[in-house]
Amino acid sequence: MQLLSKLVTVGLAAALALPFAAHAESTLDVVKKRGQVICGVNTGLGGFSMADSQGKWKGLDVDMCGAVAAAVLGDATKIKLTPLSAQQRFLALQSGEIDILVRNSTITLQRDAGLGIQYTGVNFYDGQGFMVTKKAGVKELKELGGATICVAQGTTHEANMAGYFRSRGLTIKPVVFESQDIMYEAFFGGRCDAMTQDSSALASALATRNKSADYMVLPELISKEPLGPFVRRGDDQWAAVVRWSLYAMLEAEEKGVTQANVDEQLKSTEPLIQNLLGVKEGNGKALGLDEKWAYTIIKQVGNYGESFERNVGQGSPLKLQRGVNGLWNKGGLMYPMPIR
Amino acid sequence: MGRNCWRAITALVIAIGMSGTALAADPTLDVVKRRGAVVCGVNGSVPGFSLLNAVKEWEGLDVDLCRGVAAAVLGKADKVKFVALSTQQRFEALRSGDVDVLAANSTITLQRTAGFGLEFTTPNYYDGQGFVVPKKLGIAGATALANRDICTLRGTTHEDNMKAWFGERRLRALPLLFDNQEAMYEAFFAGRCVAVTQDSTALAATVVRSGKAADYMMLPDVISREPLGPYVRRGDDAWADVVRWTQYAMLDAEALGITRDKASEYLRSNDPRVQRLLGVTPGNGKALGLDETWAYNIVAQVGNYGESYERNVGRGSALKFARGINALWNQGGLMYPMPFR
Repeated sequence: MQLLSKLVTVGLAAALALPFAAHAESTLDVVKKRGQVICGVNTGLGGFSMADSQGKWKGLDVDMCGAVAAAVLGDATKIKLTPLSAQQRFLALQSGEIDILVRNSTITLQRDAGLGIQYTGVNFYDGQGFMVTKKAGVKELKELGGATICVAQGTTHEANMAGYFRSRGLTIKPVVFESQDIMYEAFFGGRCDAMTQDSSALASALATRNKSADYMVLPELISKEPLGPFVRRGDDQWAAVVRWSLYAMLEAEEKGVTQANVDEQLKSTEPLIQNLLGVKEGNGKALGLDEKWAYTIIKQVGNYGESFERNVGQGSPLKLQRGVNGLWNKGGLMYPMPIR
Repeated sequence: MGRNCWRAITALVIAIGMSGTALAADPTLDVVKRRGAVVCGVNGSVPGFSLLNAVKEWEGLDVDLCRGVAAAVLGKADKVKFVALSTQQRFEALRSGDVDVLAANSTITLQRTAGFGLEFTTPNYYDGQGFVVPKKLGIAGATALANRDICTLRGTTHEDNMKAWFGERRLRALPLLFDNQEAMYEAFFAGRCVAVTQDSTALAATVVRSGKAADYMMLPDVISREPLGPYVRRGDDAWADVVRWTQYAMLDAEALGITRDKASEYLRSNDPRVQRLLGVTPGNGKALGLDETWAYNIVAQVGNYGESYERNVGRGSALKFARGINALWNQGGLMYPMPFR
């Protein structure tokens, strides 16, 4: 009977293990074992992911990847970046080649629900924007009534723009070009008062042509292109790690916790800061991480505002304003879910 | 060690293995389709969010969300069974499978999602914790409530938030704890506490409902970020997607100007965004495992988010809440539907 009970025990253990074994190993465990986070990034998009002259990768998406490495491994440099084309990107995630896709990818229903992947949050609200010359002194879109606006053919931009101005009772004069490059050339040659494109593309065009002294991208957007990280579907623990890494960077900005002052802030008596920095424990355990996870992100990568400014904002050649990417209580849409 | 013993062990092993697999592989979407009804956990006593009205019909923002899910999955917004849950019961009821979705004006937090076997979808109302006091006391701000009894619900985040907020100001909060809202408000209206605290929407709703709105006021202090939204079980991503995109469909319909009354007219629209939302251009339904008319059914039967907002908590309701941060993203608020394509 002793043998029988042993057999039953072994059998039970095997049976109970079955449904779990059927699931793939959690990415969090794989990353911890490997000691590195593998991120799929753009092959080169200024402000988001691009290698600098020393070959060091920089950008908002690169920072997101570093933040996850800081949270999970305690070291933001333990990342491997895999540059991917737009065609390769989702397959690379589905196949397990990468742990996270942070490649300025728009979140859409059919990507979220139909491709075996899921989004975790928005790290940049992109959308159709407008560029003007600085000397024109234009601050808001409504001042573009009557203006000539350069736009590329075959995109949704022309129809979006027509709808936007019509609904506000303003007339504009679209000047349509057959390609994006011809449009850029015409606009910088003085052909139009303004030019329209997704705001990140406008900013990149400005930066690569070194024109940010004379031109600017207006902060208003007239369409939705929310960009954010994707992970594999069904791996909710990993999705949570990526999601709350972004929220930690946003919460840090809201509470004024910066890369420079985070050590001082460990002594803060404010409960929201104590929760964030792990002085009050519980969040790390819930995520399967060290209680210092968010502290390490801020110490090594910085808060969201710092990352924004150095990569796409005033500290970068792109000079984008915060606009919709500001915090929720400062006119933007960035709203971290409560870290408690 | 007879043959029967082995058989028994084998049978046991197979039975356990199968039951485990069955549990893991029975997605809520399939269960709901088979059952023909969505079981929705709601609070049940918060006007504007979930309440049985005078003619015994459920109404509220959370109620509309459940109806939206039923319209999306089953084609009929009335195929919902509402289960009223206390704040103590709510998460356990979801975890145990008693309800398919919890829409009970619950705050989304890290530890409720990451550590609890639950997932949030997206906020359906951006709220924050506030305080209501009797006007006659002449209290102007929450700091004046230090060391005085504040009626507070047990088992919510409100007690912690309040202690923290007063603590930061080197003041002491004196929460007087109650197990349910009715008892708490009864005590407050009887003068047992100097103030009552809850998410500001719930406060306003209850005061209006009491018919005593003229004698009470909301203090200006909002002490927390309280994004309210539905929860589903973790690991059931197909179901989470259905609930999340139901919310986005109501928002997108508002952004595109599609109302309940005009939904059928919009089926003839040549705006590609309208065609995609209403399933005239197919693809979204298939990706979600739903009929391509899913979003049309939501809008035609429940309405868009703005309509639901106005009739439940806005100008069409007793609460008269302004849209504020709950307006669409391009109208000063935070409501931003992800793109339908």
